Amino acid sequence: MFGKRKPLWGTKKRLKSSYDAVIIGGGLHGLAAAYYLAKEHGLTDVAILEKRYIGFGGAGRNTAIVRANQRTQENVPLYKEALDLWPVLTKELNFNLMFNNCGNLNLMHSEAAMKAARMTIATAQFHGVESHLIDAKEAKALVPALNISEDITFPIHGAMYHPPGGIVRHDAVVWGLAKGCAKHGVHIHQQTEATGILSAGGRITGVDTARGRIQTPRVLVSAGGYSAGIMYHMLGIKLPISVLTIQAMVTQPLKPILDHVVSSGAYHCYANQTLKGEIATGAHMDPWPNYTTQNTAHYIKHQAEALSDWLPCLRGVKFMRIWGGLADMTPDMAPVMDGNDPIDGLYMDCGWGYFGFKSCSAVGKYMAEYMATGNCPEMLKPFHLRRYENHRLMGETAALVNYTPDN
Amino acid sequence: MDRLKQLPTLRINTDEPLTLKYRRKTYRGAAGDTVATALYAGGVRIFGRSLKYHRPRGLYSLDGECSNTCMAVDGIPNVRTENTLLKDGMVVDAQNVKGSANFDWLGFIDKLDWMMPAGFYYKTMHKPAAVWPVAMKQIRKAAGLGVISPDDEMKGRYDEQYLTAEVTVIGGGPAGMAAALAAAESGHRVVLLESRPHLGGCFDYRVTTNGQGTHLYERARELAEQVKQTANIRRFEHAAMVGAYNNNLITAFQVGKAGDGFTERYIEIRSASVVVATGCIERPLLFEHNERPGVMQVGCAHRLARTYGILPGKEAVFSVGHDLGLEAAVDLSDLGVKIACVADIREDGQRPDLLEALAERDIPVLGGWVATHAHGGKTVKKATLSTVEGTVRRQFPCDLLVASAGLTPVSGPFILAQAGMGYDRRTGYFLPTGLPEKMFPAGRITGINDPDAIEASGRLAGLEAAAAAGADVTQAAAAARQAVAALPGPERGCKLVTAPVKGRKSFICFDEDATVKSVKQAIDAGFDVPELVKRYAAVGLGPGQSGIPGHNLPLFVAKYTASTGTPKPTTVRPPLVPTYIATYAGYNHHMFKRTPLHDSQKADGGIFRNIGVWQRARYFSEDFDCKEEILNVRNNVGMLDGSTLGKFRIHGPDALKALQRVYVSDMSKVTEGRIKYSAMCNDDGCVIDDGVVTKLGENDYCFTTSTGRAGQASEWIRYHTRFDNWDFHIVNLTDSMGVINLSGPNARKVLAKAVNIDVSNEAFPFSGYREFFIRETIPVRAMRLGFVGELSYELHVPASYMQTVWDMLKEAGAEFGIRNFGVETQNVLRMEKCHIILGQESEQRTNLLDVGLGFLWDRTKSDAKTVGAVALRQAENDPGRLTLVGIRMADDTRAARDGAIIVDTKVRGYVATMRKSFTTGEAVGMALVESQLAGIDTRLQIFEDECNGELLDARVVPMPFYDPEGERMKL
Repeated sequence: MFGKRKPLWGTKKRLKSSYDAVIIGGGLHGLAAAYYLAKEHGLTDVAILEKRYIGFGGAGRNTAIVRANQRTQENVPLYKEALDLWPVLTKELNFNLMFNNCGNLNLMHSEAAMKAARMTIATAQFHGVESHLIDAKEAKALVPALNISEDITFPIHGAMYHPPGGIVRHDAVVWGLAKGCAKHGVHIHQQTEATGILSAGGRITGVDTARGRIQTPRVLVSAGGYSAGIMYHMLGIKLPISVLTIQAMVTQPLKPILDHVVSSGAYHCYANQTLKGEIATGAHMDPWPNYTTQNTAHYIKHQAEALSDWLPCLRGVKFMRIWGGLADMTPDMAPVMDGNDPIDGLYMDCGWGYFGFKSCSAVGKYMAEYMATGNCPEMLKPFHLRRYENHRLMGETAALVNYTPDN
Repeated sequence: MDRLKQLPTLRINTDEPLTLKYRRKTYRGAAGDTVATALYAGGVRIFGRSLKYHRPRGLYSLDGECSNTCMAVDGIPNVRTENTLLKDGMVVDAQNVKGSANFDWLGFIDKLDWMMPAGFYYKTMHKPAAVWPVAMKQIRKAAGLGVISPDDEMKGRYDEQYLTAEVTVIGGGPAGMAAALAAAESGHRVVLLESRPHLGGCFDYRVTTNGQGTHLYERARELAEQVKQTANIRRFEHAAMVGAYNNNLITAFQVGKAGDGFTERYIEIRSASVVVATGCIERPLLFEHNERPGVMQVGCAHRLARTYGILPGKEAVFSVGHDLGLEAAVDLSDLGVKIACVADIREDGQRPDLLEALAERDIPVLGGWVATHAHGGKTVKKATLSTVEGTVRRQFPCDLLVASAGLTPVSGPFILAQAGMGYDRRTGYFLPTGLPEKMFPAGRITGINDPDAIEASGRLAGLEAAAAAGADVTQAAAAARQAVAALPGPERGCKLVTAPVKGRKSFICFDEDATVKSVKQAIDAGFDVPELVKRYAAVGLGPGQSGIPGHNLPLFVAKYTASTGTPKPTTVRPPLVPTYIATYAGYNHHMFKRTPLHDSQKADGGIFRNIGVWQRARYFSEDFDCKEEILNVRNNVGMLDGSTLGKFRIHGPDALKALQRVYVSDMSKVTEGRIKYSAMCNDDGCVIDDGVVTKLGENDYCFTTSTGRAGQASEWIRYHTRFDNWDFHIVNLTDSMGVINLSGPNARKVLAKAVNIDVSNEAFPFSGYREFFIRETIPVRAMRLGFVGELSYELHVPASYMQTVWDMLKEAGAEFGIRNFGVETQNVLRMEKCHIILGQESEQRTNLLDVGLGFLWDRTKSDAKTVGAVALRQAENDPGRLTLVGIRMADDTRAARDGAIIVDTKVRGYVATMRKSFTTGEAVGMALVESQLAGIDTRLQIFEDECNGELLDARVVPMPFYDPEGERMKL
């Protein structure tokens, strides 16, 4: 710990002219897939291509919340496994990912919402994931700052309480995985933009980069918000993905005041306190597709209005910083994980919207298996791309979502 | 301490004394003081302790670039006392201390820095795993500055203002004022924002003269007076700009002064063009213990004396890299501070008159020297200076070390406006590489320092901004451009990044206690991009918004990595000045729509809930099972306020085509005098809306949508006809029309009393539609529907007449015992009839066929005409979908809860709505189940939350549960 410092993810490597696998995107999903490819499947001749620096995109912009209280049985086990992996990875990578297992409360503001939450809770419990419906008073006992009075915009009726969730230090996951990758021989090429994906005879043959061509039989596109653009511009494959800016912000640091992640769908607002003491808050995307990651005046104001209502003690706290990232939204709020269709050796892991952080560990593990064996693991089967062609959406939300311009 | 009371530059009024309390002691200040200056005048040097190492921290900049002087004021945490105006009776307290700011029990942590290299969190405390939760608790307690408690209340009034202007000028210094005046000449509306409580900027406190021989502080006051006299300039003092968004939308917040009707005010300005005249802050000098109380920047020391009448120290050492430092040394010496020595990083290039003035005062000037160490326990006692090469060292006793490496432009507004930023080799500043559209820089931000040049550049920018906003100022602008060209341009900036030190205690970021050493460690660990260093070593992420490290970090990273390129700046993010949530929230409106009957529903005992954008009466008694309400509709007659229903009229030559496109049914079959129920699907065939369509005439229809879709319905139709160039109009009548639902076996008798048309079953049958007037005055559109399963009339009435009609019906129904029913009662009634509510019996993926509404779909219509038809055709042959079924519990006393799931080894579906029916006595409901389980009498097992594995039994039963023949609605 106090010894001589070596670069965490190795010295800078020369870009080779061929690799067994190339991963486009040095975010969490790319890093995790590379890590498991090298560690579990002995596929160590792997290059990660990152246009900027690792963790530049969603990996460094999310608010680090982890949970496994998704709505459908296809999703819950995947997120559960991801949740279970944080302590394992901390040990394996020998890097403190700072998992704060503080539990999540999802506030409900009507009887109808309470009922809707029951389905999610029942699904969680059926899969052995702890989750409970609690009333407003119980929620207040957990989060004393909560305003449970009747005269706020959305009075609080209760909450879905999910103790296994919490917060993980997102940057630590990026750096820890990078460290693990480097240890197993993966080459991380930062400032290296993939400019083309090459295929011949229905098979992947290589990747063009700003620094030269790479021969490879396998490519994983896991470039977060930029994946859909890459798939379309390099391969002509149109994904049913709308990319939207999503904003988040932090307040000035405070001594402990919030011991849980608390969120509210009605207010479009969540809040949790980072280990540094800042209240991190955010929620929904801007309702128009764009790649800008620009902030808007209305959003920070909306957030202040919402917090003023349900966490009024924060009114005397200052917002310090707001930023934006990209959410690549699919029509059913579930990702696309697919491979060898329509091109052999082409793998995709995208459409993660704003769930990419919580899932990265488990997804990396399964995508690695997929890429190493060529066979889709059971866990990933429901997430294939063709479900949209067949109009078989996954039902991750009850309400209809629509990100196209008609909305 | 005695204040200097006679200075013409003062911004305090010593005739108006104010007091504040800090640690049971009362301190005296004057009107115009900030909390920090009043404390400083009272001898306070240590304002709090630093985040990580608990180092004592003092006054450093006066403009809030760091959290050094953040204190709790009147219970509000993290208040920057250095720019918070003192109000009488304030109570302040130090933050992040165990004990007091002067004696902090945790001060020893400063010695343990070797245990906490950059990123040490990531490498420790996780082995063994059991350590982490314990360690984490301690980290949380140690982290954070201010304290709040769950029941804290932020007092005050928070205002909002939305302005439109041609030109916004950010910064009320000489350049900003000149810009505002110039822009105002053409008659434009100008908004001028100044973050300090008074206009004046860098002229405000300086006694040197401009080219005309006027003292700068006098010139500042002249300009301010001109601004005040100019009617079309709206000036906002103590208003910090915090955000810049697309199309020059600028946000700011203003602190109210005595007499203002607000505590703070959120301001949003939409203007055509913007002048950025934010000036400069100082670039901190990096040396050992460079933030020890007693070390402060040039402007801070100078303004303490000139603006606040406080001598910052008795004996000072200066270590500067800029003429402003020399100017301050001369002036402070004249005001009574003993200046031991001025070390100037620059070997030469100083203004000769300043060197002369220093020589006259016998102040030694060491060219090419710099401070390397501020000694002292808690405050500075002595300074070590050395040559910039580190070859020779000398020590000077002092209680004040004025240190500043150079200037840093306040370029935040440009960064927020998406300008690319690049390193400028002459000034050493990060400046915009291209200016954002209609945004103009003025004054010191461009690197100039000559007073006349500052004003001239302001005037030019003001004229350019006016021109960008449409004024013709060609001649004036040409003259202004010439004037600027004739005056001194950008000056060479000092490039020294750190004093020749190892940097273990050279703080590059005060807020997060990041040292030069920790930055080196981060870079050594591979974090060689400033943005990554920022994250790994925690630099510039604190309350100071990068004010302290923003300029130095990229310079240092470039140096340390031996980069051959130019330094790359880091990003800043809004709000540029931390802003209270209360201020952003402003009035904090409750935005809900109320129906025309809101008040009377409330008076009738309605218990309201927020449903979508509306407030609706959900119950009319504390019995949330609604037994009485339900039975009264089933057996008698009830009335529901259904005004939230989406109501539209569509007309024009292509109105029918548009309806054909979005509805699944053949809409050409809608006939006058009859209603048609139909549904809309999206491209996946999923039901998005259902409602009733009526025909008023040829290509003239009315239709209803569900409450939740009323906002989007027009857009939906427009979107799906966007390529067709059809001619039709849609009018949203949702708010202008109310809806009364009159239901129950006695409904006809009630209606007959209130209206004078024939309402007999023959004259107005089920599915009929009639238009008539009540008392020849109130136009009513009436439909006979059956949503709740009884004889039922839906009356659409202009909103303004709603209360009247409601009261008439109420009076007419009195003899039958008519009573209100709410949304929950309607929910149960329609459930017994298995009439679905979208979102309740459907989810995102549910299509028209799944919910049993396939009969609505007209398959003979061309698919191209109907949104969703292609998907529906495909889904017809898809076996694995969820299907809506009726279910009944094996135990009728135990209805499963809504949302319970249907399972075997997997989840097979879920209960959408289920109630114990008061009408039939059965526990029945609707569920979405996999299609293989949809057969009548299929046994289902239900898994409820908290059931601990004990499943409930149910079976699939025919729908509906009540009046299966539908006779009652046709009575």
